[in-house]
Amino acid sequence: MYDEMAQVVENRPLAGRHFLLSLYSPKQARAVRPGQFAMIRLPGRSDVILRRPMSIYDVRSRDLKGGYGLERHGQRPAVLQVLYKVVGRGTRLMAELTPGDRLAVLAPLGHGFFPEEYLAQARDASEVLLVAGGIGIAALLMPARDLARQKIPQRLFFGGRSRHDLVGLSDFKPLVEAITLATEDGSRGYRGYVTAPLAQYLEQRCERRFLILACGPMAMLQVTAGLAERYNHPCLVSMENRMGCALGVCLGCSIRVQGEGHAAYERVCTEGPVFWSNHIVWDP
Amino acid sequence: MAKAKARKLKLEAQDGEGEFTPRIDVEIAGIHFQNPVMTASGTFGYGQEFAHLIDLNRLGAIIVKGISADPLPGNPAPRIYETEAGMLNAIGLQNVGACTFLEEKLPFLRTLKARCIVNVFGYSTEDYVRCIEILNAGEGIDAYELNISCPNTRCGGIVYGSDPKLTEEVVAASKRAARFPLIVKLSPNVTDIGVFARAAEAAGADALSLVNTFVGMAIDIETRRPRISNLTAGLSGPAIKPVALRLVYQATQAVRIPVIGIGGITSAEDALEYLIAGAQAIQVGTANFYSPDTSLRVIDGIRDYCLRHRLHLAQLIGSLKHGVNGAGEH
Ligand SMILES: Cc1cc2nc3c(=O)[nH]c(=O)nc-3n(C[C@H](O)[C@H](O)[C@H](O)COP(=O)(O)OP(=O)(O)OC[C@H]3O[C@@H](n4cnc5c(N)ncnc54)[C@H](O)[C@@H]3O)c2cc1C
Ligand SMILES: Cc1cc2nc3c(=O)[nH]c(=O)nc-3n(C[C@H](O)[C@H](O)[C@H](O)COP(=O)(O)O)c2cc1C
Ligand code: FES
Repeated sequence: MYDEMAQVVENRPLAGRHFLLSLYSPKQARAVRPGQFAMIRLPGRSDVILRRPMSIYDVRSRDLKGGYGLERHGQRPAVLQVLYKVVGRGTRLMAELTPGDRLAVLAPLGHGFFPEEYLAQARDASEVLLVAGGIGIAALLMPARDLARQKIPQRLFFGGRSRHDLVGLSDFKPLVEAITLATEDGSRGYRGYVTAPLAQYLEQRCERRFLILACGPMAMLQVTAGLAERYNHPCLVSMENRMGCALGVCLGCSIRVQGEGHAAYERVCTEGPVFWSNHIVWDP
Repeated sequence: MAKAKARKLKLEAQDGEGEFTPRIDVEIAGIHFQNPVMTASGTFGYGQEFAHLIDLNRLGAIIVKGISADPLPGNPAPRIYETEAGMLNAIGLQNVGACTFLEEKLPFLRTLKARCIVNVFGYSTEDYVRCIEILNAGEGIDAYELNISCPNTRCGGIVYGSDPKLTEEVVAASKRAARFPLIVKLSPNVTDIGVFARAAEAAGADALSLVNTFVGMAIDIETRRPRISNLTAGLSGPAIKPVALRLVYQATQAVRIPVIGIGGITSAEDALEYLIAGAQAIQVGTANFYSPDTSLRVIDGIRDYCLRHRLHLAQLIGSLKHGVNGAGEH
C-alpha cells in the first residue's frame, strides 16, 4: 500500500452519471491484485474530508492500453482506473476533475479476491458466475480478466435500475461466454432484479458446480448469498461500507461476521472487502 | 525604500535563524516528550498500522485505541458518517482487550522513540481499576489516558464524564491503582468544563486531555432513519475546532496541572492556537484518517514557527495576549 499523489490522465464521462477516471501512478498500478480498492482524497475542498473508497476497475499502460494489449506490447501497468457513479458530495467533486489535476490516492487496499483460493475454486467449478449490481461491476473486471487468462469459463449477470447503469459491457464481452442483463425499469434485458435470472440459471443446473463472485448493493448480495447457500455453490462477495480510514484503525467499516464476542465483527477495509458469503451475518 | 527595508528584515531573520535553535520538547506529568504532538486515541490504531506510511519515531507520543479489561465487539453498522468538515462515529469501543494488547501490540510500541500512552476505558469503576491492574504489567507504557468521556457506550464512560462526583470517584480509584502517570480525558458535553477539570485535578489526575467528541446526530431524510445505528454519535474533525479550543482554554484557566488540547487539528496553525491558549501539548485525531502525515507536518510547522518568532515552545505555551489586533495591541 502506498500513499501517492496521482495525476489525472483522463476523467471520461459515460452514460448515467458514470465516469471512468484514469490516474497516473505506476507504483500503485503495478501492485494491484483483482478485487482491491483505492482511497481517493478530493483536493481543495476542506469540508469533504474523508477519502472515498473506489474499486480498482482496471490498470493500464501510460497511454491507456489495457488487457491483452498491455501484455502483447510487453508494457507494465502505470495507470489506475476507477469507474464511479456520482451519488453525493464527494463523487460530485470527482466528476469535476480534469487532466493534470493531482490527488492523494492510497492504494492498493484490501486483500481482494483471495488470490490462491479463488483460482483453485474456479478451476474446480464448471463455470464462474460474475454477479454485478450497478456500480458493483467495477470490482469484477480484474478478476474476470484473471479468469479469462486461465481459460476458466465465466458468465456475467449484470443488473441496474435502468440501461444507463449497465456500464463497462464492452470491457467484459471479450472475457465472458455470455452476459445476462436485467433492469428494474425493463429498459434492457429482464425486467426486475438480476438475482431472478440468476436463480433461474442455478435452478436449471442443480447438478453443476459454480463459483460465484458478486459485488453490488447489500440487498443483492444477500439474495445472491442465499442462492449460493440453497444450491450449494461457493460464493465470494465484495462488500461495501462507509470507510473512515481504510487503514484498519477507525473501525468504522466493521460488519457482522460469524463469530462470538470480539470476533463478531471484521473490517471491510482490511479483512475484506472480499469475504466468503457464508462468513457474513446478513441479518444481524 | 520599502523594498530595502523588507530585504533588511529578511536578512536579520536569516542571521537569527542561524544562531537560534528552538526547543520544542515538553515535560508533562514527569514524562519527557520530544515534541508536543501526539496521535489521538481511536484514530491511530496501535501505531503499527501507520508504520509504512510515516516515521513513527518522530512523534511525541502515540495514544492507542481505548482498551478495556475484556475485549469488546463494538456497535452494529453503520458506525460512521461524514458531515460538513467533520465526521460522526459510534464505534462502541471495539478493542482487543488489555491482555491481548500487552501480548500483541505493546512489544512493537516499546521499540519506538515516541512515548506510548494507553487509553483506558470501562463501564464501572471496578472495570477501570481492573484494566489498569492488568496493564500495570506492561513494560514500555509511559502513561494512562483515562477515557471517562466516550459518548458511544450507553451505560459507560459518559456518565462518569458528566457527573463531577463520579469523575472524582473513578479518577481517585484509577490513580490509586495506576503504576504510571494518569491523564484524564474530559468530555466536552458538559455545561461547565471548569467543574470537571477541577474534580479530576482534586482526585489526583497528573494531567488533563480534552476534548473527546461532541454528541451529535444525522438523519437520512429519504428513509427518515438515523445515519448511525446507535442514533447519536460523536462529532470530530475540523468542524469542532473553535468550540474545542474554547473548552481547552477554559480548562487551562481552571487547573494547575498540564492540559493537552484535542479537536479538529489538521495543521501547525491549528496546533499553535491550542498551545497559545495554554495547552502543553496537542493530539491529532480525525486528520490521521485522510492525511496520515498530519502529525509530522504539525511538528515541522511548530518548529518553523518557533524559529521564525525566536521562541522556545515553553515561552509560547499560554502566551495568549488580551485585546485583539487593531484594538490597541498587536
Ligand atoms: C470497497 C469499496 C469499493 C467501492 N467501489 C466503488 C466503485 O468502484 N465505484 C463507485 O462509484 N463507488 C464505489 N464505492 C462506493 C463509493 O465509495 C461511494 O459511492 C462514495 O463514497 C460516495 O461518496 P459521496 O461523497 O459521493 O456520497 P456521500 O455524500 O457521502 O453519500 C451519498 C450516498 O452514498 C452512500 N455512501 C457513502 N459512502 C458509501 C460507501 N463507502 N459505500 C456505499 N455507499 C456509500 C451514502 O449513504 C449516501 O446514501 C465503493 C465502496 C467501497 C467500500
Ligand atoms: C473513529 C474514532 C474513534 C475514537 N475512539 C476513541 C477512543 O477509543 N478513546 C478515546 O478516548 N477517544 C476516542 N476518539 C476521540 C478522539 O481521540 C478525539 O478526542 C476526537 O476525535 C477529537 O479530535 P479530532 O477532532 O482531532 O478528531 C475517537 C474518535 C474517532 C473519530
Ligand atoms: S475504514 Fe477505518 S477501519 Fe476500515
